[in-house]
Amino acid sequence: MNLAGFIARNAMRNKRRVILTTFSVALSLFLYTVLQTALREMTQPASSEDSALRLVVRHRVSLANVLPVKYHARINSMPGVRVCSKFTWFGGVYQDAKNFFPQFACEPDKIAPLFAEAEFDPREIADFIGDRTGCIVGVKTMERFRWKVGQKITLTGTIWDCSPELTIRGVYRGGVDETNLFFQHAYFDELTGDLGSVGTYWIKALNADVIPELIARIDRTFENSDAETKTETERAFQLSFVSMFGNIKMLIGSISTVIVFTMILVTASTMSMAIRERMREIAILKAIGFDGKRVVSMIVAESFGLALAGGIVGCFGAKLLFANVDIYALTQGFFLKFDVTPHILAGGMLIAAVLGVTSCAIPALTAMRATIVAGLRELD
Amino acid sequence: MPIPIRYNLRSLRVRWRLSLATALGIGLVVAVFVMVMALAQGLNATYVTTGDPRNLLVLRQGSTAESNSQIMRDEVTRMRYTEGIARDAHDVPLVSAEIILLVYLERRDGSGGANVLVRGMKSAGLALRPQARLVAGRMLAPGRRECVVSQRIADRFSNCQVGESFRSGATEWHVVGIFDAARTAYESEIWIDSDEARAVFRRDFFGSVLLRTDGPEGAATVKRRLEADRMLQVRVLTESDYYKEQTQMAGPIRFMGGFLAVVMSVGAAFAAMNTMYAAIGARTREIGTLRVLGFRRREVYVSLLGESVLLALVGGVLGCLLALPLNGVATGTIGWNTFAEVAFEFRITPGLMGKGMLFALVMGVLGGLLPARMAARKPVLDALRAA
Repeated sequence: MNLAGFIARNAMRNKRRVILTTFSVALSLFLYTVLQTALREMTQPASSEDSALRLVVRHRVSLANVLPVKYHARINSMPGVRVCSKFTWFGGVYQDAKNFFPQFACEPDKIAPLFAEAEFDPREIADFIGDRTGCIVGVKTMERFRWKVGQKITLTGTIWDCSPELTIRGVYRGGVDETNLFFQHAYFDELTGDLGSVGTYWIKALNADVIPELIARIDRTFENSDAETKTETERAFQLSFVSMFGNIKMLIGSISTVIVFTMILVTASTMSMAIRERMREIAILKAIGFDGKRVVSMIVAESFGLALAGGIVGCFGAKLLFANVDIYALTQGFFLKFDVTPHILAGGMLIAAVLGVTSCAIPALTAMRATIVAGLRELD
Repeated sequence: MPIPIRYNLRSLRVRWRLSLATALGIGLVVAVFVMVMALAQGLNATYVTTGDPRNLLVLRQGSTAESNSQIMRDEVTRMRYTEGIARDAHDVPLVSAEIILLVYLERRDGSGGANVLVRGMKSAGLALRPQARLVAGRMLAPGRRECVVSQRIADRFSNCQVGESFRSGATEWHVVGIFDAARTAYESEIWIDSDEARAVFRRDFFGSVLLRTDGPEGAATVKRRLEADRMLQVRVLTESDYYKEQTQMAGPIRFMGGFLAVVMSVGAAFAAMNTMYAAIGARTREIGTLRVLGFRRREVYVSLLGESVLLALVGGVLGCLLALPLNGVATGTIGWNTFAEVAFEFRITPGLMGKGMLFALVMGVLGGLLPARMAARKPVLDALRAA
């Protein structure tokens, strides 16, 4: 029997304990993975090369204040602007208050160039442009309500006192968010009695270099007017929502720490239990010529293997689970995606590795220091 | 005769390191559960305590929150003289037409900003909210760009102390007072004069109307009258119901607390099981001796199960003690309904700690069940012969 086989046999001699320990490590690392993924989904809005070129212009005071429609032409003519669309949050519901998803009134011909990373069917876009009451819906929302292209739907406004009756003209896939519904701003204006106002303007810049200058130019242009603007990149805009969550980040971070700490505690006590009960054996090993270092490395290998097994079950179990679960439907739209990234997996496995070494440090030291005579005298 | 509990206590003390580690493990699970639930509890309590059942809140039909409702001036005038509305000492109806705005302010600790709810109202609004009382400075004077800020907002956001001012749009708002609103949802608001609000933010409509009736029955009558009026397109609900509706916000937090607690407690129960197996395995002979002395299987079983429960309960107490310092700590998050910051406090109630202890108990029972059964079933001779 070689050394590896000896270690494996040693680890498996109390199967119940091995299973219990592995599972408690696995559960803890499963939780850790879930929490870190949730944190990432909440604090790191998805972004792409394309989204880095998008800017959002909103009212300086807050999002609840609207901008005048006359700004449209001014912004459109500024250098560096590829497209600029009116973009108003509708905030309606479909049939029931529970059926909430994002809806925007916008300009139909600007959607495809604005969200170039999403896949639109050019014919469907043409249909959308041609139908004043048409709309284009993200594939996730289509699936959620089992809608079909051509179907008529009615939204009920919660902010605006109107109920747009829309015909679905197309579906889009991909992009940073597959749940939006876009309908025509012209129809929205008609329903609300032509308020002459727009929630936000969304801009696609020509390239990344013009962005700082463009942001400064827009905000300077409307300085000291009735409606001062705040222009920021899409990412900064989304991060401002994240900061509104408050210290949720700290909360989840501290829970993760507690979990890891508990895990170390539990595994360390199990390991010391496992080693204490075989002090006599260790003494025999030493007596037949194994030196202290060899004994320690055997103990470390056993604990390391146990922790790593738990880590693999926990982290990759989470990955497997969330790859096969529709998190969007499960959380009723709270999470769009739940990607367990390689980064998080690596973090979990690193914790498992550190855990494997630290949890056996004290028992291994005791084993190394113990003299053969003392070990042989040990009863249990 | 049951085995004396002193036996279990001594057994736990003999292997104190292992016992302590297990108890601490269980304690941390209980602590996490209690802390997360205290967050949900605090959020809930804020809404439940807000609102007077005598007060009616009028919103536009179909609207779900004050911040997205619109009530026209003529509608307010029409409502004002509806029969059944209470009057103040000068025989003026207690009706407050209010306007809700959001202002983006920077947090004091530099961790970014958030929307804060600004409520424009007249003195009737103050009369309708007796919970709020001034703790510093003075009340705002009508016709001036002044505001009073709730204590919690003043603590959390910059430029909100008395004498300071914050800018919103082209207007400078001077903070002249700080109010305390007895832990209600008003603790997350800034109050300004409603006419100033309409002028500065260019709104010719109000957001909501709050009015006082003589009691729950009077409230029902007035509600019927207002809703029956064809000239008004309004939704009327008691103020307490409006705030109760918002408690659903704590739902996801509760879900998270439950999920964490269940998964973690399974892990901790495994740990407890490990400990008990080891504790029992090491004293097989002792248990055999107990049987020889005349203790029955059932007594051995109960005693060992009790030992596990005892260990878990010690852990539970430790967990509650660990969580307790969090009680009363202020925090805030975004309110989905109004899209503004809701400030609240962690609230650890005896009931919540009871639930935590229950969790510990379950972990103890689960962890001790199998090992205790194993020990009780072992034939006496085998047990005595064990090394």
